[in-house]
Amino acid sequence: MIEPITDFVSRFNTRISLDQRLILRKKNHYFLIDDNLKRSVRKGFFYAGTYLGKTKNGKFFPSFSLLRLIAEQDANQIAVDEKTEWLFICGRDVFKRGIKKVKGSKRKGDYTLVLNQQGECLGFGKILRDLNEKIKNGVTIQNISDIGDFLRREKKD
Amino acid sequence: MSDKKFFVSRYEKLGWKYRNVNLKQAIRINTMNSKEAEVVKRLQSHGIKLDKIPFLQSGYRVSWSEFSVGATSEYLMGLYSIQEAAAQIPVILFTELTDKTVLDACAAPGGKTVQLADLMQNTGAIIALDTKKQRLTALSNHLERCRVSNTIVYHMDARRSSRLNMKFDKILLDAPCSGNFATDKHWFRKRTINDVKRNAKLQKEILAESAKILKDNGEIVYATCSLEPEENEFNIDWAIKNLNLQIEKIDCYGEKAQTNIFGKQLDSSIENCRRIWPQKTQGFFVCKLIKCECK
Repeated sequence: MIEPITDFVSRFNTRISLDQRLILRKKNHYFLIDDNLKRSVRKGFFYAGTYLGKTKNGKFFPSFSLLRLIAEQDANQIAVDEKTEWLFICGRDVFKRGIKKVKGSKRKGDYTLVLNQQGECLGFGKILRDLNEKIKNGVTIQNISDIGDFLRREKKD
Repeated sequence: MSDKKFFVSRYEKLGWKYRNVNLKQAIRINTMNSKEAEVVKRLQSHGIKLDKIPFLQSGYRVSWSEFSVGATSEYLMGLYSIQEAAAQIPVILFTELTDKTVLDACAAPGGKTVQLADLMQNTGAIIALDTKKQRLTALSNHLERCRVSNTIVYHMDARRSSRLNMKFDKILLDAPCSGNFATDKHWFRKRTINDVKRNAKLQKEILAESAKILKDNGEIVYATCSLEPEENEFNIDWAIKNLNLQIEKIDCYGEKAQTNIFGKQLDSSIENCRRIWPQKTQGFFVCKLIKCECK
């Protein structure tokens, strides 16, 4: 049942351990609960515990809670400067000059988490060109999802 | 008499002279996600000026900001919520929330649900209900943004909450109400006394259902942002006479509720409720009820 989640997590070259007993699926949405909530949850719930993400047309869309869980592991991640942080949460891609630190894969095509200088997860993206490549600038990480989405959702509502 | 004159004359009978208010935005730091002082420092580094609200635990007024405080990365990471000052009062009236089972009977859009989770430090369980599906989406987004992990949300009318087959230690009843003019400039044009009566009836029904599913010695915090006695003092007077509930004295911002309103004498314990007239905050009414042990 949790394959879409584990497959997604593996794209960051890491794994997270999830207790299948505590994963709830509501249509195409996945939630992680604890034993205490398990005792309280009833049929027909709308949301429960920690939202992990959803599948749509066979593709998995992670929640920001899941990205934070991945960030706690030894996952691919980059840390960006303050200006890049702001641009990233506005939906923009990451330029090479904005990257301050890289951990894990630098390989083109891999997923990487995008963190700010405080180590907080802002979202994730896809590495567009090897981070070892000797270029001064240019788009390096394609923004796939960022926390600015909360604002976009509020506007949509 | 226009509706405005009608309502203003009622406020005068309650001892308050109508004046327009200009509210400053308020925020509440989510201490489960970060240290309060660190969040304040980070916001100040963006040039945001904050004043601590003396009667709240982690509440601040935004006295100046060049941009919306709802668009900072700290907000998007759930380090704080935007929550009107008076609306931060009801949740802090509960005693000892850790590991408890709590019902948030009318939860959306979720400001108080997040505050409950914050005070519970994500322990125990919150069951959050609301009747409007679109508002549930807003509530769920709010929970995700603020990293709340102890809440289950149901699309359910609070008048049917016994269908959950659960008993609760605490119930937050932030009842659907007529609102007040401080947060809605068209309030006087929109509202009539019939709206007030309709809401008062709905509130009574939710109170009755809440009393059924509350454990003995459990607590209900009842709150509205209405200034109308029908939705406040009158409802609580009815509740203590009909629902095996008694009022517990609270110590918070606001003035004592009145026990004689429009010529009607109410139970003397009503004075232990708090009425907040719009001035530094919007208008509000809060009260804490305890379920007496079964006889």
